[in-house]
This record gives sequence, C-alpha cells and structure tokens, in this order.
Amino acid sequence: MKRISINPVTRLEGHGIVEIFLDEDGKVANAYFQVPELRGFEQFCVGRQAEEMPVITNRICGVCPEAHHLASTKALDELFAVDPPPAAKKVRELFNMAFYVTDHTTHFYALGGPDFILGPEAPPAERNILGVVRRVGLEAGQQVIACRARNHEVIRMLGGRSIHPVAGLPGGWSKPVSEEERRQIEAEARKNIDFALFTLKVFDTVVLGNPAYLELVTSDLYHHATYYMGTVDGDNCLNLYDGLIRVVDPEGREFARYPASQYREYIAEHVEPWTYLKFPYLKKLGWQGFRDGASSGVYCATPLSRLNVSDGLSTPRAQEEFERFYFTFGRRKVDGRYPPVHHRLATHWARLIELLYAAERMLELATDPEITSPDVRRIPERIQGVGIGSVEAPRGTLTHHYESDQRGVLQAVNLIVGTTNNYAAMSMSIRRAAEKLINGTQVVEEGLLNRIEMALRLYDPCLSCATHSLPGTMPLVVNLRDSQGRLLRSLRREG
Amino acid sequence: MATVVIGIGNPVLTDDSVGIRAVRRVAEELAASAGVATQEVYSGGLRLMEAMAGYDRAILIDAILTPGGRPGSVYRLPLAGLWETRHSRSTHDAALAVALEFGRLAGLRLPAEISVWAVEAGDTATFGERLTEPVERAVPVVVAEVLRELESRQGAGV
Repeated sequence: MKRISINPVTRLEGHGIVEIFLDEDGKVANAYFQVPELRGFEQFCVGRQAEEMPVITNRICGVCPEAHHLASTKALDELFAVDPPPAAKKVRELFNMAFYVTDHTTHFYALGGPDFILGPEAPPAERNILGVVRRVGLEAGQQVIACRARNHEVIRMLGGRSIHPVAGLPGGWSKPVSEEERRQIEAEARKNIDFALFTLKVFDTVVLGNPAYLELVTSDLYHHATYYMGTVDGDNCLNLYDGLIRVVDPEGREFARYPASQYREYIAEHVEPWTYLKFPYLKKLGWQGFRDGASSGVYCATPLSRLNVSDGLSTPRAQEEFERFYFTFGRRKVDGRYPPVHHRLATHWARLIELLYAAERMLELATDPEITSPDVRRIPERIQGVGIGSVEAPRGTLTHHYESDQRGVLQAVNLIVGTTNNYAAMSMSIRRAAEKLINGTQVVEEGLLNRIEMALRLYDPCLSCATHSLPGTMPLVVNLRDSQGRLLRSLRREG
Repeated sequence: MATVVIGIGNPVLTDDSVGIRAVRRVAEELAASAGVATQEVYSGGLRLMEAMAGYDRAILIDAILTPGGRPGSVYRLPLAGLWETRHSRSTHDAALAVALEFGRLAGLRLPAEISVWAVEAGDTATFGERLTEPVERAVPVVVAEVLRELESRQGAGV
C-alpha cells in the first residue's frame, strides 16, 4: 500500500464525517471517523471548588447527566477521602438502574431496533421509532412512553431534579429514601421487569426468529476480536455502579483487574493528526494501529463488552438470558466462563440483557432493608487532592479524574467518557463496512451509508460528550478520497 | 389554553445556552401573570416532545446555526419547515417531527400549535457561561417577541 497523504484534509470540521481513503488500486486503505472539536472544558473547570463538579459535569450532555453526576460524585469521595455509608451507595446504584432502564429502552426502540424491525435496507425516513410502532404495534409505543415517564419520575425523586440531578455529595447522598418512595420504586421496578421481558420477546421474534437477521447478527460483518472492558463485583459478576474494572483478552482470559484510581497505569491515549478525539488503548500492549487481535491495544467498552468481561450476572432472569446469549453464538464454558462474543451487532441483544438486569437489580435494591436507612452521608474531614471515580455509563466505562489544591480548588480535570473508549473500534467497523462495499471505483452508495450507520448505531456514539458538547444534528457525510487525498465523491444523508 | 414556553440548549456551552437564558427572562417577566408555564430542556427529540405533553400551545426558543447567518439574528420558524435548530433532534433517539408524531400516536396530548424562535449563535464550540456580545444583545429581542406572541393570543381571547 502506498503511503496515504492526509495532509490536505487534516482535522476537518463538522459532525460525523467519515473519510475513506482508497489506495492506487481503488481499494480501501483507511477509514476515519471525524468528530467536531469543542474547546476549553478543562479551563472551564480549573479554579472552581471541586464540590461543584457533580452539577457542572452533568450539564456537559443532556443525554446522560445521571452517569456524569455519579462518576463525579465518586471522584469527590476519593478527593475528600471519605467512604459513603452503605445505604448511600445503594441509593446511588438504584438511581443508576432507573437511568439504565430508560436509556437502554430508548436506544432499542428509537435507534437500534429499527435496523432489524424494519430491515437494514428500509428507507431512512421510515427507519425510526414511528416505523417500529407501526410494525410492532401501538401498545409497544405506549409502553415506551410509560417506561420513560415512570423512570424519569424515580430519577427525579432520588436525584432531586428531573434532568440535572443534585443529590450526589462527597461522602454520600443528600437525602434518604422514604418508605413511601421506596414502595413506589418497588412497584415501578416490577413493571420494568415485565417490560424488559416483553422487549426481549420482541427481539426474539423479530431478530432471532428471522433467519436473515440471525445470519446478519452472527455474520462477520462487524466481527472484531479485541480486548473488552467493564466493571465487575467481587464475584466477577457485572456491576454498573461500582467494583473493579476488568479487562479480558480476545480469548476471554483476564488481562487486568484494577480500581478506577489506577486507570493511568493501564490506559494510555493515542493521538492521530486528523482528529481531536483521542484513542485510549491498553498501555501494556501499546498502540499498534486500528486492528484487532491479542497483540493490539485496542479495546472496547459497550454492553457487549460488559457481558464479555463478566463471569455471570447476579440476577436470575438476566443470568438465564446471559446463558442463552452465549449458547446462541456457539460458546461453551472454558475455565468456568464463556469466551467472548466478537460480533458487534450482538451489542443490541447484550443491551437488552442489561435492560433486564438493571430492572431486576432495581427491584433488589428497592426491597433491600437498608435502602430507607437515614444514614446516607459521611461528612468529609480532609482533602486528599486527587479524586478518580468511574461508573459504567450506558455507552461504556466513564472515568472522572480531578486534582485540587489544599483548599479543594481544582487544578486539573480529565474525563474519559464511554464513547471515547470505543473510538478505535468504531473506526474499524466503519472500515469493515467500506471494504465490503467499495471495489475500485464501484461503490454501492446506499448500502455504504446504511452499513456505516448501522455500525455507528450499535455503538451509539455520544459525540456530544466525547468532545464535551451536544450537537443538535448529525448528518452523515461520507467522503471518498484517492491516494493523494483528493475528493472523489461525497455522499450525504441528513441525520 | 394551557401554554408552555420551553428554552432548549446546553447551559454551559457559550451561545448554545441562549434558549435557556431567554426562557429564564421570560419566566421573570411572566411572574405576575398565571397560566403560562416555562421549562428548560437540555436535549431534543423525545425529551422535548415529552416536555410539551399536556399543553395546548408551545413556544420553543433555541440556538440555530445557518450558513452565512449573522450571530444575534432572531428568526421565527414554521414547525413544518426544513430547518433544524441546535436541539430539535436528539441524535440518540429521534427528530422532533418524528417524536411528535410518535407521541400523538401513543396517546399523549400534544400542542396543536407550536412555534419556534431561534437565535443565530456565534460560538457553540467553547465551554463558557457567557453569551457572545451579539447573541447577548439578541436576548431582549427574542424575549420581547415571545411575550408579544403570548399577549396577542391571550388578547384575542383564544
């Protein structure tokens, strides 16, 4: 392959631009996914009191303020060297479960599901939540609305505000859960379990029950044998709020297991000249480029990754689904755990298994005798100066890292958000789609746009927060360039 | 007639917050007169649609970026146009038009009348709690327009 000059197009501005470079034979040499630059987040935070961070970082993005609020609050626990009482940790986890139920539900019905329910070749104008409701039935639509409403109410009740929560404090949570609130949350959790089971049944019928889609999911279209990252509890079961970060290799063997506070020993960030977003990779393996395999430092942190790092799920029905998932992909246990599934389209199924897990876990927490304990806060007594906290956000492991002076005034801030973890993997999936549909100057235009969109949707990139903002629109632009970087063709679809 | 005025945007992203700032001003001006609700919304699509549920009329205020647009320009947009303001859509769920049709289909009571006011933004790529100067000057303009729209409809006895 000739060296590809990317000088003419370094750091293009704009949302969601895909740059595909061809070699001199017209075959795909490289594919890049550009994201817009946003500036000044660290400067915006430095000089503020650290305790403001949970209510600042939750404004970065209107999509997952809950996850930022929790990661930030956990970073403050460490910065102020205070361990919250058990009840506070449970309330925080309960809050995260209600958030997961609404976020995963919305993703499936509005974003991920349409590819399967309407088919990947359906016109873009129909491939949305309206199309899903027309196909699956009005009742499903009403259920989605009801699910969002009841969980938004739980988030408001626990978090103190409906969108930008305020209850997280270093050392705990600002208010205990009353018995009346607990009863309501318990009832909502039961409805969530029924709804998750209903949704898994829809997935069974429309995807697994359809040989063409089953083949699509299990095909090598977006098959990447990478490392995986997720958070696990003491039994190596999935935990979405707290535990140790576990990384497994492409065979499923444990590669690393560490507290979030040690993330810099395991993760480094690679910079490419054509994008402002950094590519995190496994430090011990080093950056070997955009490729998979055991020698490459590329890893992935998604719902699929989280199942791949877990030995099992701690709730009964989700565990049944977990077993069925690996069985369907022909995986059999090796040394007590299932080898990873590398088919990235399976992320949609993994997300629904997490939906069921979150609903079941919400019920467990809502019926925990300690959940109404008034002991939800320990007052910080000193400033340690460094605080690193992480939670599993729906789109991947979210890490907040703050450093302060002795008065608690911030000196440095770094965030690694869910989407950033997956930036290299996303670029690889886009390249895979391009390779299949471009040969010489023959380009299957509509197919290319569809396949690239499918890749993006399965990761559900939060470009907003990966670059610390919220773009209102994201038209997809695919530029094809020759080996000199000259634009051959530009394909465009409005977002 | 139950009316809601909704400001949309990211409160800490310079001019992207113009809708949020304008709706806060509208809320202050309206303090005395009952019957009009105000809300701040931080993402588009389904969230924005849900915020309008239960009202007969909605007025939205958002930032917009148009090709060659002059920062601080104020526009009143028809809902059915080809425009997109910064936050009409959520890239994680749906465009506003799709979200509204979905909500109606699923049985939510959504406003029959929706009008959109948009302010041309200068900087939507830098974190900051202040508007740029031309956009700051546009805030009283858009607030006055929204208040006039509210008044004219109330005066008409609708």
